[in-house]
Amino acid sequence: MKFETNAKLTAVLLAIQATPLTSTSETNVQGCYISDLLSDVLAHAQPGMLWATVQIHRNVVSVAATKDIPAVLFTCGRKPDANVIAEAEEEGITLLVTPLTTYEAAGKLWQAGLHE
Amino acid sequence: MVSAGDARKITIAQVLVYELRVRDAMSKPPITALPSDSLREIQKLMKRHKISGVPIQLGTKLLGIVTIEDIITALDQGHIDDLAEKRMAQGVITIRDHFSLVRAVAEFERHGFGRFPVVDSADRLVGVLTRGDITNCLMHQLEKRAEEAIAFEAAALASRAGDDLARRIVIRAPVRTGDYDSAGKVSQRLRQVLRERGIDPDVRRRAAIVAYEAETNIIIHSLGGEVTVAVDSDKVVIDATDVGPGIEDVNQAMQEGWSTAGRLPRELGFGAGMGLPNMKKCSDVFEIKSGNGQTTLVHSEVFLRKAASTP
Ligand SMILES: Nc1ncnc2c1ncn2[C@@H]1O[C@H](COP(=O)(O)OP(=O)(O)OP(=O)(O)O)[C@@H](O)[C@H]1O
Ligand SMILES: [Mg+2]
Repeated sequence: MKFETNAKLTAVLLAIQATPLTSTSETNVQGCYISDLLSDVLAHAQPGMLWATVQIHRNVVSVAATKDIPAVLFTCGRKPDANVIAEAEEEGITLLVTPLTTYEAAGKLWQAGLHE
Repeated sequence: MVSAGDARKITIAQVLVYELRVRDAMSKPPITALPSDSLREIQKLMKRHKISGVPIQLGTKLLGIVTIEDIITALDQGHIDDLAEKRMAQGVITIRDHFSLVRAVAEFERHGFGRFPVVDSADRLVGVLTRGDITNCLMHQLEKRAEEAIAFEAAALASRAGDDLARRIVIRAPVRTGDYDSAGKVSQRLRQVLRERGIDPDVRRRAAIVAYEAETNIIIHSLGGEVTVAVDSDKVVIDATDVGPGIEDVNQAMQEGWSTAGRLPRELGFGAGMGLPNMKKCSDVFEIKSGNGQTTLVHSEVFLRKAASTP
């Protein structure tokens, strides 16, 4: 399966066996940034990207919202708690979780064409 | 100029009336039982968790509640081995997690219950609220505020805000040391304000990033302080002040990768040493003043029209 550059989130889910934690809308993501360091994401991610991380603290939602990142992918099956999910719903940010490691998820996303 | 005393009064009133929500006070996650659990099992659950009411849930559906009063009645009348589904109270009245505590108190008065199951906007059970939870939450907040008041007075003295600046201030928020759960609150409000005013998204993002990095630095590295944001016709002005302990070598701190963050903030994803340099990059005007054992003052201006380099 191949993505458009502007990949629909549902296609992303399939490629990496991810499940949504929030009520997903048909969000588009453009490219992906991988980092577990918050200020690195604020400095180097681009608005509109998917962000993959193992961090599950609520700060992830604040950072995503600050940077206009529409969707966050938690790797290694790490799930944030209910407050974090509620906060993301309020901010309109989609949260996803995949059992894959960040490396595996990145490989599959790249393979599926989620890059410019 | 707004005196420190005035601002203090506003802040405390806001905290009590608007800021504190049911979700801040409730016990979470909720301890629940299945309709097929016996009252005896539920009694053990209550004892183990020191709680007085257990919502009965199947999947995500809230079916009822069993309270300590139900247990006492069951013991008295000898049906403690009955299943919850037979004895639970049904048609439970819930309370929303985003309700203010003031409203929650009114709900307790109105219904006379000892507890409410708390549901979120999607009707999912997210916690349980008792009157005791409200009292504890308020006491805890008062204690925090008392500590903050001291930090705030000092920071207000250090602040250089002049008359006209004070009038344009849209956000003035105390930031507490170690309060990772509030990180991003100033930034979030700023984003709202700028969105409402139809400010260019790139400007909004850069200003929000500066505010976010400023708050987190106060939380992680200082003993407490405050962030103020003023929005002018041509720029967003962000000032962060704290009560110390200050930065010994500001040039070193401004270098990418330099961080003294400890274990906890690093576990939470802070401590890349990229906050200050990125604040500078996002700002059109950036100043930082500090010193060993001194307050740290960070001043940033983000111009509304001309864009600086986007990170
Ligand atoms: N308000 C402050 N009070 C005292 N020290 C500070 C303050 N702000 C920054 N510092 C010092 O400057 C260093 C660099 O700050 P910077 O924001 O660039 O990185 P960081 O906060 O350590 O990590 P990051 O922002 O990437 O999560 C900090 O590690 C700390 O030593
Ligand atoms: Mg920092």
